[in-house]
Amino acid sequence: MEIDVKKEGQAVIIALTGRMDAVSAPQFDKTVDDFIEQGETRIIIDFKSLEYISSAGLQSILALAKRLELINGTVLLSDLNGAVKEVFEISGFSSIFPIYDNLDAARASI
Amino acid sequence: MSLLHIILPAKLDYLQNFIQSLTRWLQQNGMTTEKIPRVELAVEEALVNVIRYAYEGQAGDVELRVGIADDQRFVIEILDSGAPFDVCALPKPDIHGSIKDRKMGGLGVFLIQRMVDELLYRREGDRNVLTMFICRSNGQFSNSRQDMHAGA
Repeated sequence: MEIDVKKEGQAVIIALTGRMDAVSAPQFDKTVDDFIEQGETRIIIDFKSLEYISSAGLQSILALAKRLELINGTVLLSDLNGAVKEVFEISGFSSIFPIYDNLDAARASI
Repeated sequence: MSLLHIILPAKLDYLQNFIQSLTRWLQQNGMTTEKIPRVELAVEEALVNVIRYAYEGQAGDVELRVGIADDQRFVIEILDSGAPFDVCALPKPDIHGSIKDRKMGGLGVFLIQRMVDELLYRREGDRNVLTMFICRSNGQFSNSRQDMHAGA
């Protein structure tokens, strides 16, 4: 999995590419840990180029959301598609996260 | 009959070896493209369960067997020699809670159950054997599950 990060105004945008599985999810955890420790509380995750996610990836997203909730932060998700969207729906994650059709819509809501 | 058979140490380091071989085999044996990520997901979840829990920190192997069950279905078996563990007996996780209420964990087996058409566990000697049957084609999980039941 490739992780691209950029800071835009108050938000950190994390774009994921490839496969978020049990091997690569800890890499995501480390990235978001660093940002939260630096005081960031608004995170957008761009799923446009993510092709695959397993329960390890879902756990990482949930863990991030739980942490941000404790510090009045927020995580927005954008552009889920294909197998990733399906896994979010099946696991009930679609109904607990703010999900936007594209990155611009997420940016407008942060 | 074509059969994929891999035995490797139960370590995360080898997960990609299993999944890449599985994907190649499924492509070569006519699994529809849209179903391949679902099979990858079911197999990853099952392998990761073995890797994380079967051997309680001790070394051990995990074995993957993939073949053709009949003209409609593929069969996948995942075997380990760890403590008896019937994944089919696990309670369903709550998938309706809020971010605060949702528990970490428990989703892996639930996802396996949703990705495959039939899931069976048996203890064979000192080994756990998890068997998945997956229809060759067909769209949504719910439809394929209904088809299985209708045909049973």
